Amino acid sequence: MKTIFLKEFKDNKKSFMIWLISVVIYNIFVMSAYPTVAKQASQLDVLLKNYPTAMIKAFNLDKLRLSNVLDYFGIESYLIITLVGSMFAMIFASTILSKEEKERSIEFLLSKPVKRSEIVTAKLLCVLIYVFLFDLIFAMVNYVSMHVVKQGNFDIKVFLLLSVGPFLMHLTFASIGFMISVILPKVKSMVSFSIGIIFTMYFLELISDLTDKLKDLRYFTPFKYVDAAELIFNKRIETVYLSIMFTVILLSIGVSYLIYQKRDILI
Amino acid sequence: MSKIIIKTVNLTKFYGKSRGILDVSFEVEEGEIFGFIGPNGAGKTTTIRTLLGFLIPTKGRAEIFGLDSVKDSHIIKRQIGYVPSEVNYYDDMKTEDLLLYSSKFYLKDLRNRIKELCEIFEVPLGKKIRELSFGNKKKLAVIQAILHQPRLLILDEPTAGLDPIMQNRFFEILKEENKKGVTIFFSSHVLNEVQKMCNRVAIIKEGEILKIEEIEKLRSNNFKRVKIDFRQKVEFEFNLPGMNNVRKEDSSIEFLYMGDLEILIKKLSQVKVQNLVIEEPSLEEIFLHYYGKEVTK
Repeated sequence: MKTIFLKEFKDNKKSFMIWLISVVIYNIFVMSAYPTVAKQASQLDVLLKNYPTAMIKAFNLDKLRLSNVLDYFGIESYLIITLVGSMFAMIFASTILSKEEKERSIEFLLSKPVKRSEIVTAKLLCVLIYVFLFDLIFAMVNYVSMHVVKQGNFDIKVFLLLSVGPFLMHLTFASIGFMISVILPKVKSMVSFSIGIIFTMYFLELISDLTDKLKDLRYFTPFKYVDAAELIFNKRIETVYLSIMFTVILLSIGVSYLIYQKRDILI
Repeated sequence: MSKIIIKTVNLTKFYGKSRGILDVSFEVEEGEIFGFIGPNGAGKTTTIRTLLGFLIPTKGRAEIFGLDSVKDSHIIKRQIGYVPSEVNYYDDMKTEDLLLYSSKFYLKDLRNRIKELCEIFEVPLGKKIRELSFGNKKKLAVIQAILHQPRLLILDEPTAGLDPIMQNRFFEILKEENKKGVTIFFSSHVLNEVQKMCNRVAIIKEGEILKIEEIEKLRSNNFKRVKIDFRQKVEFEFNLPGMNNVRKEDSSIEFLYMGDLEILIKKLSQVKVQNLVIEEPSLEEIFLHYYGKEVTK
């Protein structure tokens, strides 16, 4: 288990760095614009009111005010950490095991004295740690940037929510991606598959905001579970959303173990 | 009584509705070199992958070292070396790294042995696997299979793609390993290869075992496929004891020969031959001839 984990950890270092650095730099770039924005905040808030409703809702402009650094982050940068972070997590999780089958190296791995469950554990652990590091490092850099650019104090609790929320969401997508890759090893490109699912979920969130008729769609999209405006407003992640995420994560992992242990490895 | 290393009982594997193998039963004893032969698509690889626990049997079971091929697969593999028919390893890894990675699974320090084996097989240590030639990849697979000194070697068409010199070196190594008591399960579709090495062979066709036979018995029947083009029309008598499946045409004759080669050569010297081919018959031919009744049954 340790052997596989260490190899996997080493192999994925590079791609992890690329993903992480791109979001971190994007965020620093966005946050560095804040002092200028804050100065004109009151005018901007008025100006933004004239934007189309759908767009305003999509960017949470109806609930957030640019005069607060957390709100600014919520509007301008949060989407990147949720969207790109989810892509990273899901693509990573859905290829980490399936690539062995695709590249047929699983034939090598399974001829060694390892249990299939150990392979799953090693790979899952690697995903968990990288997703955790991804969000931790992002949050740390983000915290420093906010301190540098803030105009007044910001609520640390809300900051933590805006950091933990995406992490839970990333784990949700990662575990779903992992499970799908175990159930459907024949899917040709797990990368496009993952991106497809994430964008579908994202649009589902946008739609659920549009009309009351569709608002129940919100239960089906993790983007809604950790919606920046709601986290900033309510200062908590709704219990129902938390339970959904934990259930999905545990269920996906459980199903992955069960299926992978009993499945034919066709190469 | 010697120990049973591999035992399958009515081992059956279906891929959905399509047949993989059907009621395959055999036993391999400790220290044996067991040949598993059949044409492509007969079920050799399916059998091997079921033995290794990659595939879950639809029916029946397989035991290695008395342990279940599914449940105890990870324990079994401590003492197994496996060479796949097609080598697919981590392309980005270097030869040495792959072998070190492999050795970590056995919790042994095998650095010296890695060097030693790579020298014997002439496999470059520092090259990436992607850059290796087909033959070198195959050799790498052989090295990783014998690296940890397993008790059983499972080889799926191991010599395909190796040049004759490497084949010989490979056979020598196998014989050495075998002398140390290593049991070898060897799949192939080349009869010649099996004849040189094995004590017993199982013949598999269309997913079913046709026959399990001692190699000595097969060897005593030295089949040759003979094709002769004559300079003129065949108006003379050409009939020798041991000629089977004779096909005559205007100026040529083709047959399966299991008689004395001396007699054939003497006979050939009496006629005008334009072209002559004497070759190993295909496995199918021999076994269809041999076990024709069982096959059509």
